[in-house]
Amino acid sequence: MTAIPVITTERLRLRAPRVEDFEPYAAFYASDRSVYQSGPLDRIRAWRDFASCAGLWAIRGYGAWAIEDRETGDYLGEVGLYHPINYAEPELGWMVVPRAEGRGVAFEASLAARNWAWQARGLGPLISYIDHGNDRSIRLAERLGAVLDRTAPLPQGEDPCLAFRHPDFAAVRRQA
Amino acid sequence: MMSAAPMIETARLQLRAPRAADWEAWAPFARSERARFVGGPYDLGEAWRGFAHVVGHWVLRGFGMFVFAPKGSDAAMGMAGPWFPADWPEPEIAWSLWRPEDEGKGYAFEAAQAARAHAFGPLGWRTAVSYVDPANTRSMRLAERLGARRDPAAETPGDATCLVYRHAANGGTA
Repeated sequence: MTAIPVITTERLRLRAPRVEDFEPYAAFYASDRSVYQSGPLDRIRAWRDFASCAGLWAIRGYGAWAIEDRETGDYLGEVGLYHPINYAEPELGWMVVPRAEGRGVAFEASLAARNWAWQARGLGPLISYIDHGNDRSIRLAERLGAVLDRTAPLPQGEDPCLAFRHPDFAAVRRQA
Repeated sequence: MMSAAPMIETARLQLRAPRAADWEAWAPFARSERARFVGGPYDLGEAWRGFAHVVGHWVLRGFGMFVFAPKGSDAAMGMAGPWFPADWPEPEIAWSLWRPEDEGKGYAFEAAQAARAHAFGPLGWRTAVSYVDPANTRSMRLAERLGARRDPAAETPGDATCLVYRHAANGGTA
């Protein structure tokens, strides 16, 4: 299978998901904080989603990482390229546990994942699907330079959401 | 990790880790009435998550259900093997046979028996159960043929109504 790469940033390490990550992951999905990410979910359902994200790598050759605090080793959330069959293209998605909120963790992790997608897999400009009302994620998408894309196909069979299109690095390079 | 996933050969079958291409054989099963005893039928997105779950189980646990195919073929017929999602009360030996035309030929038995031997052998399991829907008479018969016996006292996963069959660690009669 595709080896899951490790990416280090200033404060974070993106690494392969592990069984131990499931406890904080499930706690997040049991809470109301997951309401914009298809939650809340019971633990059996949360495991199914958690494990299916781990399976992405073997199926697609890209997938999701656990976000770890480089200094403490704490699990801070998940970031990656989500591409289930009902998505028309890979999505740049993120989730951070409550203690990691408000510190720019999702921004730093998303930027690293987006760069990897472009450099290692030639994927982009990526899309991010965000629920209506998820102002925190909308602000993050905008901070990442993504803009609302009303023409992008939305996930099939799911509630309508917003689609944000990330910058086109190929176009940037052509202009440079 | 999946790179280390073993291959197992039986008289007629080859058991291996799931591959991306197995989706093509899994999807029609998962979306059909045949999947009613494994939580289906599923819509497209749920069917895919179910498949990715099987693959991800290998990534996270280092073992998982094997896909089985006739020897010398890549045409996946079903899955069988060790299965242990979070919150499962005990490690399970699970199986599914995807196409109706493969039924009644002992393929699921052959695959489940070999996968169970792998669990009790190289994986070092001491116990295993199989959770079977009470309406799934085929799987009940298969569990009995495998020598597993009903354990009415055993816990079941989540709020699922199912029968628990307990396997003997020697692979014989409990």
